[in-house]
Amino acid sequence: MPRHIARLIALIVVFGALALLAKWYFTVDSFYEYGHYRANSVPEIAAQAPVFQTPRYCQPCHAERVALWSANSHKTVICEVCHGPAQGHPANGKLPIPTDTKKLCTLCHEAMPGRPRAQPQIDVARHAGDQQCIACHNPHAPKIVAAAAQVAGDAAAGKKRAGACAGCHGAQGVSASDTWPNLAGQNAAYLAKILGAYKSGDQKDMVMTPMAQGLGDADVQNLAAHFAGLSCAAARNESSAADVAAGKALAKNCAACHGETGVATNPAWPKLAGQKAGYLANALKAFRAGLRRDPTMAGVSRGLSDADIANLAAYFSAQSCAPAPGGRAP
Amino acid sequence: MKLQRDLSSAARREFLGKLGLAAGCAGTVAAGVGALGAVQEAEAKTDGGASFPTPDYDWTKHRWGYGVDATKCIGCLRCVEACKKENHVAGDAHHFRTWVERYVYLEGEDKPRIDSQQDPVNIAASGSEKEYRFANRYKDAKVEKAFFVPKLCNHCTHPACVQVCPTGATYKTKDGVVLIDHTYCIGCQYCVQACPYGARFFNDVEHVTDKCTWCYHRITKGLQPACVEICPVGARVFGDLNDKQSPISLFIRNNRVQVLKPETGNAPNVYYVGIDKEVN
Repeated sequence: MPRHIARLIALIVVFGALALLAKWYFTVDSFYEYGHYRANSVPEIAAQAPVFQTPRYCQPCHAERVALWSANSHKTVICEVCHGPAQGHPANGKLPIPTDTKKLCTLCHEAMPGRPRAQPQIDVARHAGDQQCIACHNPHAPKIVAAAAQVAGDAAAGKKRAGACAGCHGAQGVSASDTWPNLAGQNAAYLAKILGAYKSGDQKDMVMTPMAQGLGDADVQNLAAHFAGLSCAAARNESSAADVAAGKALAKNCAACHGETGVATNPAWPKLAGQKAGYLANALKAFRAGLRRDPTMAGVSRGLSDADIANLAAYFSAQSCAPAPGGRAP
Repeated sequence: MKLQRDLSSAARREFLGKLGLAAGCAGTVAAGVGALGAVQEAEAKTDGGASFPTPDYDWTKHRWGYGVDATKCIGCLRCVEACKKENHVAGDAHHFRTWVERYVYLEGEDKPRIDSQQDPVNIAASGSEKEYRFANRYKDAKVEKAFFVPKLCNHCTHPACVQVCPTGATYKTKDGVVLIDHTYCIGCQYCVQACPYGARFFNDVEHVTDKCTWCYHRITKGLQPACVEICPVGARVFGDLNDKQSPISLFIRNNRVQVLKPETGNAPNVYYVGIDKEVN
C-alpha cells in the first residue's frame, strides 16, 4: 500500500474513532433507548402536575353544590369552566365566583350564527336588558322551573262560587279599585297556583287567606278556569302620572318571563298587561320587601327604586291584555 | 544507515497505521456490541416488570385518538382558555396549542369567511388578549350557513415534523402522541414549517417549539385532556383506540368521520364530524 494512502486511512480511522468517542460521550444515556430521542423526556413531560382537577376533586368539600349542579342541566359544564382551575385550591385561597355573569353566560348563550340549534340561546338585549343573569337564574340549576299545572276546572261551577270574589275583583273579573288585581283573562295555571298558595298559607293576605281556606281543591280549579275564561277587554286603565317610557325601558328585564308587553310566555307566570297599576306596584314592593316569596322575583325587584316600580306599573297597566302579535306600542 | 533508518521509519509508520486500523475496527465492533446491548436492554424494559414512562402507566398498552364533533361546538372558546392555563402557554393572541375557527357562508358569496379567536375583532369583543370570545359580528348579516371547528395537533402516525427534526427533540411515543423534548430543541423551527396543519408555534421566551401534547401529563394519570374535560357540549372526544368501548372508538364507529388533509400522507389521528371541504 502506498504510504500516503495508508496515512490517509489512518487519519480517517483516528477521526472516526474520535467521532465515535465524542458521540458516546455527548449522547445522554436514554437517547437511543426507544428511538432517536431522549427517552427520559417522556417521564419528564408525564410528571407535570395537572392544573384542572375535575369535579371529583371538588365533591368532598362542596358536596351540596355538586349534588345540585350534577342533577341539573348544567351538569356537562364542570366546576372549573366558571370557577377556573382548582390546582392549589384550597391551600392557595378561594376560587373566583364570577360576578359579571352577563359576560360569562353569554359566552355560550348569546344567540350567534354558527351555534347549533340545540344550544339554548338568547338575544341578550331583548332577553333581560342590563340585568345580570344570576338575578333570575341559579347557575347550578339554571332552568327556571315553571311547569304550568294543567287546570281542569269547570268554568260554570267556578262562576257559581265567584260571587264572593265580585265585591273586590268585579263581577266580570275587572276590579273597580286600583288596589285589587283584575282576574279576567289571567292565565288559569297562575290563578290556580296563587289561590292554592293562599289556601295552603304559602302566601298570606288579610282578606284572601280566610277566603281561600274556605275553598276546596276543586273550587280552586273551577274558579281559575272561570276567571281565565272571562274577557279582559274591559280592563282599560287611565293614564297615570308615572313615566311610561321609562317603565318600558325597565320592562326589558321582565320580558323573558312576562313578555315584552306583559303577556306572559308561560301560563305559570301572570299576565301583567292591562293590570291595575296600584296592584302591580304593591306586588313589586312586597317582593322587594320579602313579604311575597319568590326567588326569581326577589332577585329582580331588589334593585328597583319606588320610582322604577311606579314607572313599570304604569307601563304594564297601559298595555293591551290581549295577545298582540308583533307587540303593540304603548 | 540512512536507508535503514528510512526502512525502520517506514515499518514503524506501517505498524502504527495497522494499529490505528485495528483500533478503529475494535472501536466499531465495541460500539456495535454496545448498541446491541442497549437495544436488548430496552426490549427487556418494555417486556418485563417496570412500566414506562411512569410506574402506573405503560405506554405499550394504549393508542390514543381524538375526535371533534363540529356539529356540537358552540364556539365558547373555554377549551382555548383551559389549554393555555393547563399548559402555561403565553397569554397573548399569538400562541395557541388549540384554537377554534369559525366558518361563515354569507348569501351570495362563494367562499366562507373564516376567523378564529385571535382575530382583532374577536379580541376587541373579549376586551383582553388573555380571554377569548367570538364577536357576534354576523348578527345582522344574511348567513346561509355557519359552524365552528376546533383544531389542534393531529398527532399523525407519520409525522412530518418528527422526520425533519435534526436533533431528535420531537418524536412519536409508543402510545401515539407526538411530543417535544424542550431540552433538546434548538429552536430551528424546521418542524413549524413541516407541519401541514399549522399546529406548531415558536415559544419566544424559551426559544423552543411548542404544540399540543394531548395533555400527556393528564392522560398518563387517567385524566382527560383539559380541553376535553372543559368542553361544555361534548364537542371534543378522547380515548384509547385499543379499547373498543372507549369514547373515541365509539365516536369513530358511530359517525362518518374524516381527517384533515389526508393527501399529505401524515395519517392524522384527530377525527372530524360535521365539517365542509373548505376546512383543512
